[in-house]
Amino acid sequence: MGPLVVYEIISENTNFLLAFLIGISFGFVLESNGFSSSRRLAGMFYGYDTTVLKVFFTAAITAMLGLLFMSLFGWLDLSMIYINPTFLWSAIGGGVIMGIGFILGGYCPGTSFCAASIGKLDALAFIGGLFIGVFIFTEGYPLWDDFYKAKFMGSPTLNEMIGVSRGVLTFLIILVALAMFWVGEWAEKKFARKDYTINQR
Amino acid sequence: MNARLLLAAAVIPLGLIIAAVPENTTRPYKLTAEELLNEVSEGQQFMSPDEIAHMIISNDPSLQLIDVRSAAEYEKFSLPNAINIPLENLLSEEYVDILNQDVKLNVFYSNSSNQADQAWMITRQLGYNNNYVLQGGLNYWVETIMNPEKPAEGSPNEEFAKYDFRKGASDALGGGAAVSASAGSGTQGNTPPIVKSKKKKGVQGGC
Amino acid sequence: MKEAKKYMNPYLGGVLLGLVLIAAFWVSGRGLGASGAVKSVVVAGVETIAPGHAETATFYTENKEGHGNPLKSWLVFEMLGVLVGGFLSGALAGRLKFKVEKGPNATNKIRLIFAVIGGIFFGFGAQLGRGCTSGSALTGMAVLSVGGFVTMAAIFGTAFALAYFARKLWL
Repeated sequence: MGPLVVYEIISENTNFLLAFLIGISFGFVLESNGFSSSRRLAGMFYGYDTTVLKVFFTAAITAMLGLLFMSLFGWLDLSMIYINPTFLWSAIGGGVIMGIGFILGGYCPGTSFCAASIGKLDALAFIGGLFIGVFIFTEGYPLWDDFYKAKFMGSPTLNEMIGVSRGVLTFLIILVALAMFWVGEWAEKKFARKDYTINQR
Repeated sequence: MNARLLLAAAVIPLGLIIAAVPENTTRPYKLTAEELLNEVSEGQQFMSPDEIAHMIISNDPSLQLIDVRSAAEYEKFSLPNAINIPLENLLSEEYVDILNQDVKLNVFYSNSSNQADQAWMITRQLGYNNNYVLQGGLNYWVETIMNPEKPAEGSPNEEFAKYDFRKGASDALGGGAAVSASAGSGTQGNTPPIVKSKKKKGVQGGC
Repeated sequence: MKEAKKYMNPYLGGVLLGLVLIAAFWVSGRGLGASGAVKSVVVAGVETIAPGHAETATFYTENKEGHGNPLKSWLVFEMLGVLVGGFLSGALAGRLKFKVEKGPNATNKIRLIFAVIGGIFFGFGAQLGRGCTSGSALTGMAVLSVGGFVTMAAIFGTAFALAYFARKLWL
């Protein structure tokens, strides 16, 4: 029965070892899908390469389904899973600032580490920026302390909010995701670029 | 075959199945006597003073301390940002929204843990979640957080780390001696051992 | 140098990434993350270089876990793994190479300057939003958290809205 740590099936140090192994698979999958390429990541926003959209949403629906099935079989206690709390204003504000960072920098934090590991110098520059950004946040913290904690909503889930079961919401999201993939593949043809090839199977 | 269609062929049936089966997280509205006894004997309702102190210091917005002693005692001394719901008024209409909710983590406290425990038992039997009890009450709080005892030489490192934390917490919360007098009544000397309770807030997350 | 191998099919990759995410949930009860590791390093750095400052500034006191080294956290180990995993995949596919990747109309200098600026925004936003694309958006969406969907929509919505203004960098 998982999660293993919460039920004290494994020790803290084993947990760190597993974190390292999970990190390796995370990095490996990201790199194999070309998340180490900023042009590929940025391509999503211009429609010439929508891989990020496909990978991101396929991963999300796989994980949603997986968690629900594991709960169904009694392998995982969903009530012990960490659900990130919602602070509405900072979630929106933070998201907007991250969006600006994404389009200017061409990476997000996870992918920048992945890209740096294969020698992308722009990713190293991005990581340098990350440290500066976090440092600015921690140093100026009293200035945005109130905004950071405003509109605390607990840890609501979307299905509770709209009043359907997790399973039904998951199914709806699957349909939306498949529709988006279709649009994505259409966009890749429409916005294809001569100087860029989507080099994938 | 197109990979997108292949994916669709796999996830749509799975999605239909998961949408059709009932969720495996049915929570009983009321606990049976056995379940309640089970929770009590495992001490699931307790939160240690260290956990609470950490939440107070970090200004955790989900923490709601509830003083279940009389209004007079509450006036004399209370923990930071605690609200007062005297035990005898626990069932009054005006407090239902505070006690029965899913957003905050309510922690009852009294001088020892007795009254707080009673408050917890009542709310638990009503089917309310997210209510907890400060382990050992204010007496134990004063003992551990406000006037921490230095561990003996040669204690394991964790003991020292704990002591350092408590010392820091004590300073941050305004130091010891002043409060020990007001909370001194009703010492029962039955301070429970700190159990590391696993069934609490789950895990800490964050990216 | 031989030609780099093709990337994985995105749907296959997505399923694999989903499985990694499930494994993370099953082991530790939380999903994946990245920016949290950066925060741990920053907090540890400040505590080492300016311990007096870390004692007084609000953020460090609020984020102090009471005991223990901030570097000894799940996310730090996970991110070390990401470096190893990315390197392995890049090595197997023949993609290891020092280079600056950019759009055809941008110079290296411009690209690097904007990468730093983007990093600053992203680092700041990830702290404000309590997580980045992996920690808040992807993981949050997998557990159907409202915050996850809100953050995801805000990140991608903003990036789409600003794509036109940043086209010189990428197109």
